[in-house]
Amino acid sequence: MHHANHFYGHAHVLARYAGLGDRHPPRINGYVQHGWNIGDGLAPGHPYADRTPSLLWSEQTRRRAWSVGRRNVVVIGAPFTYLLALRPEDPPAQEREGTIWYPFHGWEGQHVKGDHRELIARIRDTEPGPVTVCLYWHEYGMRHVRRLYERAGFRVICHGYRGHWWKDTDPEFLDKQLTELRRHKRVASNRLTSAIFYGIAAGCEPAVYGDPMILSNEDPTFGGTARIRRQWPELHGAAVDLPTAVAIARAELGTDHRCTPAELRELLGWANLPEEEEDDSDD
Amino acid sequence: MTTETAPAGRITLPGGEMLAWSDLPKERLADGGPLAALAARIVPPGARVLLAGPHDPALLDRLAHAEVTCLLRSHPDAVALAQRAARVIVGGPAGLPDDETYDVVIAAAGLDQVESVEGTRLGWNGVLTRLVAAVRPGGALLLRLDNPLGLHRLVSTTPWHAARDDSAWVIGGVLDQAHPANRDQLRERLTGAGLRPRACWAAYPDGATATALLDADQLDRGAGCGLFDAVLHGACAGAFGAATVLQDPARLAVDALHAGRAADLAPAWLMLARRPGGPTDPGADGNLPVALAQTGQSGQPGTGVLEVLDDPSGWRWGHHAGADAGTTTAAAPFASREAAYRDPAALSGPVPTGRLLHTLLLDAALRRDLATLRTLLHGYAGWLAGQAGADGRLAGAAALASTDNVVVDGERYAVLDPSWRATDTLPGDVALARGLWRFAAALLTGGYAHPWSSTLDVAGLTVVLGGLAGHDLDRATVAEAVRAEAAIAATLHGLDAERRAALATELQAVAPTDPPVGAHSYQQLREAWLRQREEISRLAALTRWTDELLTSRERALRRAEAKIGLLSGSISYRVGRLAITPARLAKRGARAAKRRARSALAPRQEEQQ
Repeated sequence: MHHANHFYGHAHVLARYAGLGDRHPPRINGYVQHGWNIGDGLAPGHPYADRTPSLLWSEQTRRRAWSVGRRNVVVIGAPFTYLLALRPEDPPAQEREGTIWYPFHGWEGQHVKGDHRELIARIRDTEPGPVTVCLYWHEYGMRHVRRLYERAGFRVICHGYRGHWWKDTDPEFLDKQLTELRRHKRVASNRLTSAIFYGIAAGCEPAVYGDPMILSNEDPTFGGTARIRRQWPELHGAAVDLPTAVAIARAELGTDHRCTPAELRELLGWANLPEEEEDDSDD
Repeated sequence: MTTETAPAGRITLPGGEMLAWSDLPKERLADGGPLAALAARIVPPGARVLLAGPHDPALLDRLAHAEVTCLLRSHPDAVALAQRAARVIVGGPAGLPDDETYDVVIAAAGLDQVESVEGTRLGWNGVLTRLVAAVRPGGALLLRLDNPLGLHRLVSTTPWHAARDDSAWVIGGVLDQAHPANRDQLRERLTGAGLRPRACWAAYPDGATATALLDADQLDRGAGCGLFDAVLHGACAGAFGAATVLQDPARLAVDALHAGRAADLAPAWLMLARRPGGPTDPGADGNLPVALAQTGQSGQPGTGVLEVLDDPSGWRWGHHAGADAGTTTAAAPFASREAAYRDPAALSGPVPTGRLLHTLLLDAALRRDLATLRTLLHGYAGWLAGQAGADGRLAGAAALASTDNVVVDGERYAVLDPSWRATDTLPGDVALARGLWRFAAALLTGGYAHPWSSTLDVAGLTVVLGGLAGHDLDRATVAEAVRAEAAIAATLHGLDAERRAALATELQAVAPTDPPVGAHSYQQLREAWLRQREEISRLAALTRWTDELLTSRERALRRAEAKIGLLSGSISYRVGRLAITPARLAKRGARAAKRRARSALAPRQEEQQ
């Protein structure tokens, strides 16, 4: 299976939903879109086998992928919507409070240009309640970045490591994220990203504001942040219209396209699995 | 040539007969099919009828209530039909007695086959004039005209102008000015000959053995009509048997229907016209059928003709007293263990309105409209479930309600033709899986674009469709549905045990890269080949990718092994290993003791039980 299918424990969530339990997820016959995306749903820069099915989040992404030459493109909805189906009613935890704020991150190979201090000031001015800042693993590991946010009086967390080449994937990544989102009233970021859509789906009021922190080597193929602001202006600002945001998130996460377990097993190539091999021996 | 074989002098030979020739159709429909049903409705009891040209002998049987004179060019045909007719005139149209007129003249093989090779040719107009003269004032003419641009020609691998068989001593086509070439021209000619056209039916899938006769005007307006959709599809699917065609005739016919052009593309038309003046039966043309269609396979039990009449309150099933009505009920359901049987009595009351579910699903799949697919399939599954008994099993027509026999009108679902019924009840999910499997197989083998990946097989797509319908089907249920489908299809086609087993195997093996079962169309064969090619390309790319990945993982493994080797040679590793050895030995010993204890206890436990 493509290692990107394991990012954020996506394959683990899908395996649980498909009724395979907590076993190691079997190989997926296709590529699962691993993040909200304004392109063809696949991560640029990753090598992919031609004609292998792309399992995408939304109908809009499917149309776009087809238009740029991808075939075998299927809409199944985001793994996060499967997680929501697995955990529809979490134990009604303490009352939602404050904001979970996701400063935009690049991944390991990218370097973010921008001023964290400025962003912190903006967050302080805007957010009415306590703020939890969720840093990406890479930045969480950078002491000085973490300190900046801690000194501002924010709670700083990290959902885990998304994994790379099947190594160190945190299978609980998405679970942790959902738990955190459900603790907060608002979700915010300096860019429209997966986390905002997850937050809306998890019942938070969204906000997108602040310096979008352009990547030094950002790929302009699909229009970048400028296009995101043009196409989804309703989701930008310190306060946005909630019903509109909910409808957009529903479409972008493909919530209505969520498959049933049997349907998912067929689409991922999990319908005729060989007997599970014993991974561990006693000695 | 003598007339000794002619019974009771019924055969007259005015000259022009063809002695070594036969026109009688080799392929015949049960009880003369829809044409005989139409003729029986048009001809009043005791009427004098002229059958001009060759007709199925069964048609004469259906006109037993009338006095029938046949005009035939073939002498052997005359001998074959003499028993059934009051009189047979053998020769060209010139042989008709000048002083005789008829209440109804039927030329349902067209006018070309009325003319003999002998004698002077009258041409299409000449023959028409002669036949019109034989219609008494107030009488009727039922005439067939073949369409030079008909569906049969569009799908044929042989161009019409290249025919070389024995009947092609002249070839009629659009180039012949004397020959009408469309409905309007035909209407003009009939009017010009002094007749008043009353009704026109489009004949599918070919003029000679039409299994469907549909009112042409209604057909022009009936783009969204589920009945026409199902009848046209049923008539054209597999109509050309083992012959290779250019494209799927059923697809073409249904496309023509939706474009309002099904009457224009009909292989032939049957037009009914009346000669003005004279006494006319007041109810003569009052309630002519909107549709007549054969159901079931010729020669199989349950074959019959569906009749649809147009009432002020809407379309309703006509009570068609087919000769087969008695035999079908006798054959069903206790006399045999066939999977299905036909009960013509189920056809009464209004014809359900709405569009055919199969068409709506295909359209949504082509447009990748998953929301509509979900709504339709949810509705279908919910409606099926509502028909089930307390035990969740479906009986009768509902058990056989696959998407090509279900119409949808808004939120309402209904079986279109409820006369076919399952002998045994089917579990609800098997009946649903059968309907979905049939649709999945048609979608994939038909080469339709759809919103799913090429990696799904037919059973897989059936499960996915089940998911959209809100029912998690498993593959075992789908396999059971395919077995049920094989048994039902075998009954409809009258297969023996051996061919039945072969069919079951064939259906189970249907793959998305196959052309449709039983079809031989170039377009579909080419599409199947393209799908195969695409699949091979996909697999080749996957193999390349896997190979590269394997190489990189092997390299990673070698590095890891080197590291392990290096570390296991280190002093700290050796010291550590020495330290844990007693613990490992103790663990092993404990496990052996546990094993011994367990084996010692096991027989004792068995004894206690």
